[in-house]
Amino acid sequence: MAVLTSSSQNLQVHRFPQDHYIDSLRWLPQLSAFHRNIILAAFDSETSTSSLQILSSSNSSSNPPELTFQSSLTTPSRITSLTTSQNPNKLLIAASTFSGSLLLYTADLVSGSLEFVDSVAEKGFHLGRVNGIDVSENGSEFVSVGEDGRINWVSFVGGGLSTRKVFDSNGLVSYGAVKWASPVEFVSGGLGFGLQWWDQRRPGGPVSQFKANWTRGTTSGIVHSIDIHPSRKHTCLAGGSSGTVFAWDLRWQQQPIMLSGVGTSDMSALSPSESDVWEVQYDNYTTSSNYRNMSESRVLPAMICSEDGILAVIEQGEEPVELLAEPCAINSFDIDRQNPSDIVCSLEWESIAILTRS
Amino acid sequence: MPGLTSESDDLAMVPVSPESEKQPVVIYPLRHGLKSPIHRLSFSWACGNTLRVSVFRKPPSEKADGDGEAGGRVVEVKLSNSGDEEVDAARWRRMAYSSVTPFALLQSRKHSLSAASRMSLDIPPYKAEWWEHVIEYSKEISSLLNDRKPPPKSIIEDPKSVVNEIAAPMCLKAAWELLEIFYVDKQSQSWIPERLIDWLADYNSLFSGTLPTIHSKLVDFQQELVGVQVVEEDPNYWDAMSSALAVGWLETVVKLLRLHGSYRFDQLSSRETENGLVEAVAVLISKMPRMRPGLREDNLGECYKTKPDFMKAWEKWRTQVSKLDCSSYWLQCDHRQTREGLKNLIQIMLGNPTVLSNATFNWMELFISHFLYIRPFTAGLESMHNSAQKCIQVKPVSISHKLFGLVFGILGENTEVVLAECSRSFGPWMMAHAVELLTAGSTHADILLHEEHSKLGGVSIEELHRLVYAQVLSSHALTWQIAPIYLTSCIKQGIGLLENLLYKQPVQHSQILLKSIEICRLYELDTINSNIMRIAGVHHWKHGRKGSGVFWLQQARDEFRLNRIAKQLFDFVGKSVSDEGFKQWEGLIELLGSESRTAGGLEFLNKYRDFRRSLLQVHGDTPTDAARNAAEALVSLMKNPSTPQRFWLPLLYDSLKLLMWQERPLVNVSQTHLLLNKLQELSMARLRPDFVEADLPSDALSSVRLALATNLGGAILEE
Repeated sequence: MAVLTSSSQNLQVHRFPQDHYIDSLRWLPQLSAFHRNIILAAFDSETSTSSLQILSSSNSSSNPPELTFQSSLTTPSRITSLTTSQNPNKLLIAASTFSGSLLLYTADLVSGSLEFVDSVAEKGFHLGRVNGIDVSENGSEFVSVGEDGRINWVSFVGGGLSTRKVFDSNGLVSYGAVKWASPVEFVSGGLGFGLQWWDQRRPGGPVSQFKANWTRGTTSGIVHSIDIHPSRKHTCLAGGSSGTVFAWDLRWQQQPIMLSGVGTSDMSALSPSESDVWEVQYDNYTTSSNYRNMSESRVLPAMICSEDGILAVIEQGEEPVELLAEPCAINSFDIDRQNPSDIVCSLEWESIAILTRS
Repeated sequence: MPGLTSESDDLAMVPVSPESEKQPVVIYPLRHGLKSPIHRLSFSWACGNTLRVSVFRKPPSEKADGDGEAGGRVVEVKLSNSGDEEVDAARWRRMAYSSVTPFALLQSRKHSLSAASRMSLDIPPYKAEWWEHVIEYSKEISSLLNDRKPPPKSIIEDPKSVVNEIAAPMCLKAAWELLEIFYVDKQSQSWIPERLIDWLADYNSLFSGTLPTIHSKLVDFQQELVGVQVVEEDPNYWDAMSSALAVGWLETVVKLLRLHGSYRFDQLSSRETENGLVEAVAVLISKMPRMRPGLREDNLGECYKTKPDFMKAWEKWRTQVSKLDCSSYWLQCDHRQTREGLKNLIQIMLGNPTVLSNATFNWMELFISHFLYIRPFTAGLESMHNSAQKCIQVKPVSISHKLFGLVFGILGENTEVVLAECSRSFGPWMMAHAVELLTAGSTHADILLHEEHSKLGGVSIEELHRLVYAQVLSSHALTWQIAPIYLTSCIKQGIGLLENLLYKQPVQHSQILLKSIEICRLYELDTINSNIMRIAGVHHWKHGRKGSGVFWLQQARDEFRLNRIAKQLFDFVGKSVSDEGFKQWEGLIELLGSESRTAGGLEFLNKYRDFRRSLLQVHGDTPTDAARNAAEALVSLMKNPSTPQRFWLPLLYDSLKLLMWQERPLVNVSQTHLLLNKLQELSMARLRPDFVEADLPSDALSSVRLALATNLGGAILEE
């Protein structure tokens, strides 16, 4: 097990047991200083139904936070990935499903209610699991990738969704994650720790590809999650099997920057996790003060959650800071964009944890 | 078969158990939608608690033409969580999740301790340490059994609230605590009676549903109390107090006594003596000596840690009670109910068996009252057992509560009975976790539970119960992943069952697949790991996800299958260099990497891609060096045994421009011979019936021959 520095910062953790499995969860934009909403994709194993739920979290410094159920909508299939957009007119929630569809909802933050907007479910969209979706910064362009090897571009125009196929590998490649880099570029990731850079100005295939070469002799892995920081669009952060987290800089394409992973001998000592990293996100909290001082070539700090129950912040060349070490997997987490000290994560054993750093 | 005579279209399933008189019969309707008559039913277990029922209609006879109806249908019936209804499914899972960590911790401590003490936990220092661990474990499990939140405490205390309605307790927790009291908590051995009193105070409400109890009586009285003006004239007031006093709920009694009318300011002067007597009884009750290290919050009494101190105090207290009983003030008390009621309380404190029997409602309460007032110095299970037997004779119960059975089994020091009661009433979770308490607390239980039984397939009873629990966990989609923790603690059959469990998981669900692989990694099950990856690879391959198929087969290092699928894969590869479809392959080829060891026969694809790339760069005006590279790539491809035969001709045909290079021959004599040999081999192969003709112009072969011959001529001249 890796050596971990215990966090010197003050950390409050509150756990909320739920009665269903949580596939994914996200913060919704904050309405007032005391109330925030969380959207979660729940799966009820008793009835085999899945739903989207809004929970509201009361937030005051004196009392422990409380979660109250707001509303729920049954979804036609189990959710694989959830993303929210900060569209100025409308709060959009997009969800991809096991059955190969994309669902779009809107949420009313005041009443805490959900409303169905549109969905894409036709045969030509995805066959089987959609593994990842992402929404563009303007909030109306979605990109989805699936295990069938298809990449689709979905636009939200005039109140409805329209789709366009970007690429179809006919199953020769399966994708696991996707992230926008700019309005016309995105990065996909998948098998063999591979990453593909796509540019809509140059259609027909990825403009650049990356394949891990550090796994020589050992087994390879899968990229489960990708993040790109808006201030550094040339660098792509990816997390996947065997605790692997690496950054791929388009300007130095051949060599990835390893941040964590047991596959590489020089890294394993610093790796907070040994199994699948389910989600990676840049962590804006710790660096808000010395943000500008950071060298351009250094990878910004990132938060990860893993199958072996670790929620940690990793930084290039430094010991990871472990925030949570659970006996079960942490499936998904989200850092509050407006208030990056707050994190919400979903635990495999049917519960939610809310962390507050101070 | 039941239900077959029914005329209705829908069948129903009615489980009939021998105890059906007590439990209501549950009916599961089967919505099969078939027309009558139903000819045959067949049952089998599906996943977990789901029963799969196949419903068949009578096969259509010859003359009747088919009515287009299905001949049968399979329906699945989810049987509800039978048995312990106090735990719903979600709560049960929460319990299962939270007991994993304490269990795993205890197992790992057991391992390290037995390693340190060389297999024997009986050596004193280790034994003491082991006790500590078991107590910690027991407390932790016990704490997770009460996750129901208590209602918020009101700040202003209601003087008339006598029953503290804390969170509804669970039978399971009551049973766990009983085991903890008797088997684990060595420190409380000397004050077991007091612990039982606390236990009854906590869990008396559990019996209220099936039996008359003091708790239900107090709850009833509490409701009545709101409307009562002169409380001391209500006989229920005195009955409630004597009952509460009988089982040692001193604080309740004192609280009730203080509601007595003589305490009111307007009556204090006129009822001075009466009030003095009430207060004297209240003081005596609150000074009752108790043999225990300390009191719980709100409890009354005076604690004594050692037996001599306690005996001395007890004698003194009893003398004071008798003195009050004989006091002359009683004559001056002219309120009849008060006089009689207080006298009754004094009789209880003096241990009058008839009064105690009248104040209690079941044998358990009577048993507790005996500890308090008749035999306060009881110690040892045997005397407790005798006492319990006597109480049962006095107050036999028509319906025995499951906790009563457990208490009686424990007092009788009968491990088999305790096990049977636990397993019958509290289910597999209890059995798997409580065994640790039993084995720690009793040598007899230790031997009994660890003895290997040949009729159980060589496993011990301890292991059997863990296996059963693991089976229960395995049957649910959300809990199967904690079953390995219990299975790996079973030495004999655990790993075998874990293998079964892992093989049964559906590989098509990538999350479950990755979970299985993670479990294999944790328990170093390398063979199973690669088998699962192989199964996943073949599954993906069959469903058209070639990339995933290849990836998992590579992970499993299954060269055999990689070679097999290579043959199929090549059918899809575009045959000509100019084929645009080849773009799709780039991703897969990237994935394959260049190492033949992990790619198997697919290594060819990588070389083929390189060849295509170099060939595409060759134009009429290209420098000879680039063309030479392409030619070398061609020769090495043709040399490579993994290059499939069907590619030979297309490869050569695509390279015509290399073979007929204007400036100088790019392929030397021996290389040309090799290529010619390959061509010859191909001509021979064409005669075989299974040969697949490449999709090329009909003159392809002859033009390649011509080109090779030209090249050979040039090469010979050059050498």
